[in-house]
Parts: sequence; structure tokens; C-alpha cells
Amino acid sequence: MLDHSKADKITSDLLRSIRMNKSFVVWMGILGISLVICLYAYTIQLREGLGVTGLRDYVSWGMYIANFVFFVAASLIGMLISAVLGLSGQKWITPITRIAEIIALAFAAVAGLVIVSDMGHPERLLNVFMYGRIQSPIIWDVTVVTVYVLLSTLYLFIPLIPDLKICHDKIDNITPLQSKIYKLLSLNWKGTAEQVALVRKMIRAISIFIIPVAFGIHTVTSWLFASTLRVGWDSTIFGPYFVTGAFVTGCAGVIIAMYFYRFNYKLGDYLTDFHFDKMAKLLVLVSLVYLYFNLNEYMVPGYKMKKFDALHIHDLFVGNHALLFWAVQLGGLVIPIILLLFKKMRTPKPMLFIAIAVFIGAWFKRYIIVVPTMEHPFLPIQNVPLNFKIYTPTLTEVLINFAPFVLVLLIITILSKVVPIIPVQETIEEFEETHK
Amino acid sequence: MLRRKFNLKISISFLLITVLSIPAFAQGWDVPEAQKSKNSNVVFDAGATKEGESVFTKNCVSCHGNPGKGNFMKTLTPPPPDLAGDKTHNLTDGELFYILNTGRGVMPSFKNILSETDRWKAIAFIRSFHKGYVQVVSKTDPEKSKLVKINVSFDEKSNKVTVDVKANEKTGVVALKETEVSLFAKRRFGNLQIEKSGRTDANGVISFNFPKELPGDKEGNVELIVKISNEAYGEVESQSKMKLGIPTDVPSLTKERSMFNVMKKAPWWILITYFSGISIVIGFFIYMLLNLKKLFDLGKK
Repeated sequence: MLDHSKADKITSDLLRSIRMNKSFVVWMGILGISLVICLYAYTIQLREGLGVTGLRDYVSWGMYIANFVFFVAASLIGMLISAVLGLSGQKWITPITRIAEIIALAFAAVAGLVIVSDMGHPERLLNVFMYGRIQSPIIWDVTVVTVYVLLSTLYLFIPLIPDLKICHDKIDNITPLQSKIYKLLSLNWKGTAEQVALVRKMIRAISIFIIPVAFGIHTVTSWLFASTLRVGWDSTIFGPYFVTGAFVTGCAGVIIAMYFYRFNYKLGDYLTDFHFDKMAKLLVLVSLVYLYFNLNEYMVPGYKMKKFDALHIHDLFVGNHALLFWAVQLGGLVIPIILLLFKKMRTPKPMLFIAIAVFIGAWFKRYIIVVPTMEHPFLPIQNVPLNFKIYTPTLTEVLINFAPFVLVLLIITILSKVVPIIPVQETIEEFEETHK
Repeated sequence: MLRRKFNLKISISFLLITVLSIPAFAQGWDVPEAQKSKNSNVVFDAGATKEGESVFTKNCVSCHGNPGKGNFMKTLTPPPPDLAGDKTHNLTDGELFYILNTGRGVMPSFKNILSETDRWKAIAFIRSFHKGYVQVVSKTDPEKSKLVKINVSFDEKSNKVTVDVKANEKTGVVALKETEVSLFAKRRFGNLQIEKSGRTDANGVISFNFPKELPGDKEGNVELIVKISNEAYGEVESQSKMKLGIPTDVPSLTKERSMFNVMKKAPWWILITYFSGISIVIGFFIYMLLNLKKLFDLGKK
């Protein structure tokens, strides 16, 4: 027996956020202004060249590449939550899937732009297609990131088809054009058994297909480093090390987003404490795996202390980068794991702070992977000014690196204003199944 | 016994200190008198100065810095002088030319790196920073170098390369005696000097022992370069190809397919992997689009 009033309540609850309001306009205004400031910094770089950054001959991969790795990492969460957990039959993920997919799409779409900012003149990107070599991981990275962006778009769109129809039918305070777009995109959805079966089949296919691609995107990104001989990068576990690190980043991102949606969109009935508790446990699980990889990554060379490794490891453990290194490892990994073992900490508010710490830690972790290695080449650095030896990002560079974050927030903000952030159709179906 | 050992230690230390400090004392260049008065055939005009600047930028600037800017490599011992300075100003053209030719310590010899004209042009550029400098052009006739004929021959039995230097003067063929001759074999990354430079005998002839194991091209050909330097006839260079090396056929490193080659010569396995991956992806997207079309059509019913 269908509970119509309940289904209607779910629909109206979940569609409530799709409307213009004052806070949305203000928030978009803030993002817009921030973007203009960041773009102004970019025009300085275009005009003056990469010399306006802290990048020099030795540290030629700095904040930009760290940022790129971070963006690729954050985008992997869509695959983990929707595909891996979805295929393994976890029901609790239903209200989180779309949040994870939106985050994945936003970060993956912007990741490529981060690389373009590192190139100085953007038209240099064409060189990849004109002179690229298939033997280089760079070509594979460009390929696999593009594929992942397309797949993530499909992965967001296909489960959305029934919801788009609901949007068209149920939302009445939108313009006729918007309504038409909903209808067009809902591809004649009528909810017939055949259509339901077909959509389920497509979602299943894409869930399976996206797993190797997502592993590929971050493994290839790790190979950009691991296929060199440089200390700190010359590692056989870089692939899984990066992939698990990505899950940590993504989980933290999803928790922050969940907190925001729960309180701003008043979705407390859907994103419940139970969901937060589950996400906290997931974060602990992936963090433990990542911690294990960290142990391997630093313990093994740290035990052997080969000539050049020793230089690098000393710098990380007790040298110039020690403060950042330990802050990241303890504050971004060990302490969050310990805290989340307590039930009290697995509630929304403490989790928000823990997730923010993990998220920031994850960003600096990429910085710690990229920069110190570049400061330790095999050949001695001679007769160069101090700023060639020690990399310090400039304000312009920091602002340019901030732009992709603003873009991600813009994409997420706009998407969550035009589509229901929690799958409506699936939530109703699940409610019906549990209340038969 | 102890005392003797002690003395020995002191003596060795003293000797070491003395020997090590010699370079510090030996500041001046001992330029032979005959070389000091040598002058250039190249006139130091605006053109020569301009060309000299490019020679200077390529070969000298990394250590000496730009003349007058004081941006020379201060970390070298002894530090290379700023060539706009008085010390350089006071040297004769011949002295500068000698220093450039021979080199010493950190300063390399440019004799076999730059042609004589280029060396003089570099000096022309340096002179453009010296106020009040007036050039004395060499009285020797630069056209005379065109009369020089260099004949190179190889004797397989003794493995010797013989260089015969003559000049076709109007009065007849003259043997150029006491002429400095250097022999080089051209290699991939520069010229390999064969033995030391020497001087021709009374017949204008000099022989060099050629190494037996020098690899040549497929046929065993080696390109020889002979450089001569004569007071009256200047510097002349000749090149000839001779069969005096071991025939060697080394295939180019970029001939085979490999990871370090260009994309067209990438290994098959990586090409197959990449393009099958791409095909699978394209196939998948086509499958998904067809399904979306099907979904659309189902809704029409």
C-alpha cells in the first residue's frame, strides 16, 4: 500500500531548496567577487610570466601541482560512495550519493584548469596534443581525467532522470524555460517498469565502469611522480597510496557538504545522525588504510636511510618541513582517527571540525609530497640565489590556486540549486520498501 | 728517531705550503715577447665588434660577466677579471690573443674552439669598452693564407699521418718550416686531438702517430682536421676524410621502438594498451547513449 502523504512530504522536503533566495544571491556574489580577484591575479601571471610565482629552476612543481593532485583526489569520492558501496549493497548511502557525485564532478572538472594555470601561457596545452608522447604518463593523465569528467557527468545525470521529471511536475515557482529544460532532460520519463529497469541497468553498468577509471585517474596521477627517479617519489606503492589518500580527502569533503546541507537545507530527517555516524566510520576505515600506506612510505626508506633519501627524510622529520609534515600526519590523520573512535565525536558538529582538519591536512599533504622532493635534486644546487633553493609561494600564486576552489564552490552551489541534492525517487522507493 | 720524523713532517708541510701557494703568486701571464706585439688582421670596426659580442656572449660571459657590469663569477679562484677594467686595458692585443689561445687553470684555451677571426672579434668587442684605445692593424697580408696548401697522407704500415705544408708563392712552392700543426679527428661531440701540436721540419713536414683503435664510420672513414699556424701566413684549417679507423656500424639509438623514442616509435604494447583502452571507453559511451535513446523512445509509447 503506497503512503501518498509520506511520498508527498518527501518530495516537498527535498525540492524545497530549489528556489532563489536572498542568501543564495549573497553567497553567489561573494563567490563572484572572489573569482574576479583570483582572475586578476591570473592576468598578472599571464602578463609577467611564471616569474611572479615562487617557482624557479629547481622547484618547478610547486603549489599548482600540489593543488592539482588534491583536486584529482577529492574527485574520487563519487566512485567510492556510489559505485563501491552501492554495488556492495549498502543502503545507507542513498541520501549521500548525489552529494558525492556533485563533489566528484566539480573537482574533476576543475582539476584540468589547475594544470593549465601551472603552464604559464594556456595555449601551451596544445603542445600536449601536438607533441605528446604516449609513453609519458602525462598523456595518460590528460586522457583519463577527461574520461572521468565525462563519466562523472553521466553518473550524475542518469540517476537524476526520474528526479528531473519530478522537478518538472512538482515545482511551480520556476520560469517556463527552466520547466522546459527539466522536461527535456528527463527524456520522456514516465516511470514505466521498462524505463525503471533500463535506468537501473545503466546505473549498474556505469557503477562498474567508473571503478577502474577512477582508480586509473589517481594511479596515473601518482605515476607522474613515481615514474621518475627522484627521492620521495621513486616508490612502488604510490598508486594505492594516492588512491587511499584520495578517499580520505573525499570523505572529509562529503562530511563538510553533508553538514552544510543538513543545516542550511533543513534536511535533518534525511541526513540523520545515523548517516553521519556511518560516514565517520568510513572516514576512519579509509584513514587507517592511508595511515598504513604512510607507514610504509616513510618507514621503509627511513630505516635504510640511503644517501639521498636520508637528506629528504631528515628534512621532513626534523628539518625545514618538519612542522608541516607532523602537523599533517598527526592533525590530518592520526588525531582524527583517534577522535572518531569515540561515539560522541561521530555526531555532526564535532565531525565538521574533524573533517575540516582532515581536508586541510589533505591539501598540505600534497604540498609535502610535491615540494620537498623538488628541493632535493641529485645534483648539488650551486651558485643560485636563496629563492631558487627554498620555495615560497607568492601571494599571486596563492590567489591563482584559490580560483579552482571558488569554481568548485560555484559549480556545487549552482548544481544544488537546480537539482534535488538528495535523490527523491530513490528515497521514496526505499521508504516504500521498508514500510510494505 | 723521533726528531727525524718530526723534521720530516715539518719539511713535508713546508713543501706542501710552498707548492700550494705557487698559483697564488703566479698572477701574471708569461706572454712571450714575440706574441706581445702580434696584431690583428681583423679591423675592429662596428661590424667586428657586433659579431664579437655574440662570440663573447656564447663563450666568455658565463665567467667574466658583461664588461663593466662587475657580474663576473666571484666564486672562482682566481676570480676572472671584469674585462672592461684597466688591467685588461693595459694589455696589448697580442697579450690578449695569447691568453685567449693558451688559457690557464680555470680559463680554457680557445685556440681549438674558436677560429682565429672569431677570437680577434671577441677582442674587438672587449676593446670597445676601453676608452682611448687605438688599434694597430697587422701589417701581414691576410690574403697570404690563401696560398697555403696542406697535404695529408696516411701510411698504413707505420700507422702515421703525415702533414705536408707548402705555400704556392709566385716564385715557386715554398715549404713552411717551423709551422705549428695540430691534428684532430672529428668525433660526435667535438674534435679529438691526435698527439700534441708540433712544428714542421725544414721540409714543412710533420708526422703524427694515429691510434689504431679509433672507430670510424661504416667504411672506417674518419674525418681529419688539420690546423696550422704560421707567423707569415696566419692560421689555416683543412679537412679531409680518410680510411684510418675501424669500420663501425652502430645503429642509431632512436632506430628501434622504445619507451624513450618519439610517439611514432612507441613500443607496440603501450600503443595497443592505450588505444584498446580508448576504444573500450568510446564503446561504453556509445552503449550508454544508445540506452538513453532507448529510454527516450520508451517514454513516447
